[in-house]
This record gives sequence, structure tokens and C-alpha cells, in this order.
Amino acid sequence: MNIPLLACAMIIFSSSLFSQPNCEALKYYYKDTVQYEACKKSEETQGLYQFSKEYQEILDDALRIDPTFAHAYHKKSTAYLKSGDFVTWKKLMDLAVKYDPHYNLEYRGLMRYKCFRDYGGALKDFDSMDSLGMTSDHLNLARSMCHYSMGNQETAIQLLEPYLDKEEDIFGLTGYLHLGVFYLEKHNYKKAIDMFDRQHEVEQTAENHFYMALAYKAIHQNEKYTEHLIKAKEQYLMGRKMSDGYIHPIHKIYLEDIDHEMSSHSIE
Amino acid sequence: MAILLMGCAHQNTTSTEKKPLRWVGDIEHDATIDEEEFLVCNGDSKVLQYFNLGQGPVYAGEKPSLVKAFETKYVPIKSKDQNGLIRIRFIVNCEGKAGRFRVLQSDLDYQETKFDKRITAQLLQITKDIKEWVVLYKNDKPIDYYYYLIFKIIDGQITEILP
Repeated sequence: MNIPLLACAMIIFSSSLFSQPNCEALKYYYKDTVQYEACKKSEETQGLYQFSKEYQEILDDALRIDPTFAHAYHKKSTAYLKSGDFVTWKKLMDLAVKYDPHYNLEYRGLMRYKCFRDYGGALKDFDSMDSLGMTSDHLNLARSMCHYSMGNQETAIQLLEPYLDKEEDIFGLTGYLHLGVFYLEKHNYKKAIDMFDRQHEVEQTAENHFYMALAYKAIHQNEKYTEHLIKAKEQYLMGRKMSDGYIHPIHKIYLEDIDHEMSSHSIE
Repeated sequence: MAILLMGCAHQNTTSTEKKPLRWVGDIEHDATIDEEEFLVCNGDSKVLQYFNLGQGPVYAGEKPSLVKAFETKYVPIKSKDQNGLIRIRFIVNCEGKAGRFRVLQSDLDYQETKFDKRITAQLLQITKDIKEWVVLYKNDKPIDYYYYLIFKIIDGQITEILP
């Protein structure tokens, strides 16, 4: 199992980027005593499993105190997201966004893209962030993935290229791999290999070797093609592959893909 | 209370935010739609979620074999108004057998809807026909777990199978 990639996914899903608000600040800074009471009630979920009846009921109580307490809708929604109940999840997250767009739009957009492959919906959420003055460079990778998945490879590439020579890292753990695949599909093999080299410095995965092999195959460097294909299989069998605790990521490959490529070129 | 909830969830379909029995999304046995021979091994109170074991989504033969099953068996009902998401959720028991299938349907705006029955019936039957699911273990003991498939449908055709 690829622990770093998995850990990244767990962080996003656990909403820990969107953690419990500071209840005391609501009381003393914002002078909002009703929301403070709702916030204190929601703190009682600590240590409870988010799928459990108790967890959900505490948040229902918090919402009875303050039906505009966005955080409680967000927290309630997570179990529905994880169980694939897109109807209830969306209703709850819509309320979270309604009452606190600054805190919830990004998360809703990311989950629409990641869990339901709702690329257009995710882009709408990211655009809404722009209109609220919440533009964020780090969202460009998600934006790029959405455009790519909707068939707009050029836009996908244009969103990422400006960051290649910037200090600000928006590529994370898999961004160079994705951009490499975009280039590969546009037959720009030199740039694709450059991206896979960069990705290799971040992390070795079966996917990176596999796509690297395809790039070398396209430029007829058969030795490197074979070398990377063999490495791809080795990495795959060792469990060094793209993984996520909940979903299958875009550009993930499977053993069948490697074996098919090997058998079609008589590589053992 | 439990009986009332069961009544609401009667038709293979879930409506918005029902009060959980134990956990969100728990599926009780319903003698009117569930196969009698399907049993959970460790009791309903110990059915986990597939991701509780940290392995992510798993399929016998990996995901390509699952996708192939639907690609070869599903006959598209081509229609411009058949768009949205269909989730089929079920339990995989300690023997890798699946049961208690439930269907949830929405349009592309996540509003609950009903697809053409020829679409949902096919997806349900193909899912039921998958005879082998991965057995997951906790502390070396095989467990029962909830799993789901989500189908993105555009113009009556499957465009994505998730997770």
C-alpha cells in the first residue's frame, strides 16, 4: 500500500482540513451566543464514529439550537459521502455552503470531482469561489483534472504549466504524473518524460514507470520502454501504486494494463 | 421505530436522510426483496464499511474485470432524458457473497429521481450476478462489509463506474 498517497486521501476525506471551529471565538469575537451553543453541542461528537446514530443525533441537536450552523451540516454529510449517498450528502453540503460558503465551497467542489466525477459541478463551485474573492492557486490541479476529464486537455495543461517554474508547489503528490499523462496524450513525449522524471523525485509508483514506458515506446527507445515496463510491474507487485482509501484515482493503472502491454510486445 | 423505518425503506430505494438504525446507511434484511439464503456471518451489528480496513475499493480481478462485466452485459437504453447517478449498495459477507441490494437514483443535480426501469433492472441484475467479491479480514477474521457501486449514466449509457 502506498502510505503517503493514501494518507493524503484520508486527510481530504476526514475533513480535517475543515476542522472544528473555535467555539470560544464565536462567543467572544463574533458575539454569537446561539452559534456558540450549537458549536459547544457539536463538540460532543468528539470520539464518536461519524457514521453512528449518536454522532448524527448530537449534530441534529446542534442544528435545533442553530439551524444556520454550517459546520454541523458539513460534519453530518461526511458519512453520507462515504456511503455513496449522493442525494443526502449534497442536500447537507448545500446547506453548509448556504450558511458558510467561505468554509465549504472548496470542499464541496473537491468532493464532487473526486467522489462523483461531477467535473462541471466542481468547476462551478471553484468559479463561485472566484466570484467571492476566494481564488486559490492550489485549486488549479483540481480544476485542471476536471477540464482534462471533460476533454479539454489544452486548458488542463495551461492551468498547470505556469506553476512549473514557480516556488509555489501546487502539484502535490501526483500532479506531475497527471501533467505528464496530459502531454503524453498530446504526443508531446519530451515534456511528458520530463514530468515523469519530476514525479519520480516525489515518489516512485508503478503508474509513473508505466506511463514513462509508453512515452519511450512512442519515441522508439525500446530499451527504456522495456526497462520501465518491468519496473512498473515490480512496483505494482510491491504495492507501490496509486491508491486511495475510498476511490480509484484518475490515471490509476491495474496489473492487467501492465500485463497486456508486456504480452503485446513479448516482454516477460 | 425500527419497523417504521423499515417500512419507509421498503422498495430497494432510499429517500433523504433517514434516521440511522446503528450507522448511517445500515441495511436491514427485508424478506419481501432479499434472498433468504444470504446471511451475514457476524451479525448485523458488526457489518463494517469497505474502507474501514484501509484497503480502498477492492474487486476480485481488480476493477477492469468489474468494468468488463458491465461493458459486455449492459444494453444501453439510449434516451436523452436518462441522465444521472445510480448507486447500488449491498453487503459482502465473510464468504465473499453479496446480498441486501438497495438502489438510489438521482439526476445530475443530485435530486432523487427514477430512471427507466430497464436501466436499473439491468444494473441490479448484473451486480447480483457477480458471484465473487473480495473477502476482507480484520484481525485475521473474515468480516462482513458494506460496499457500493455508483454508475454515472449519460443518455442511458454508463460513462463511469465508481468508486
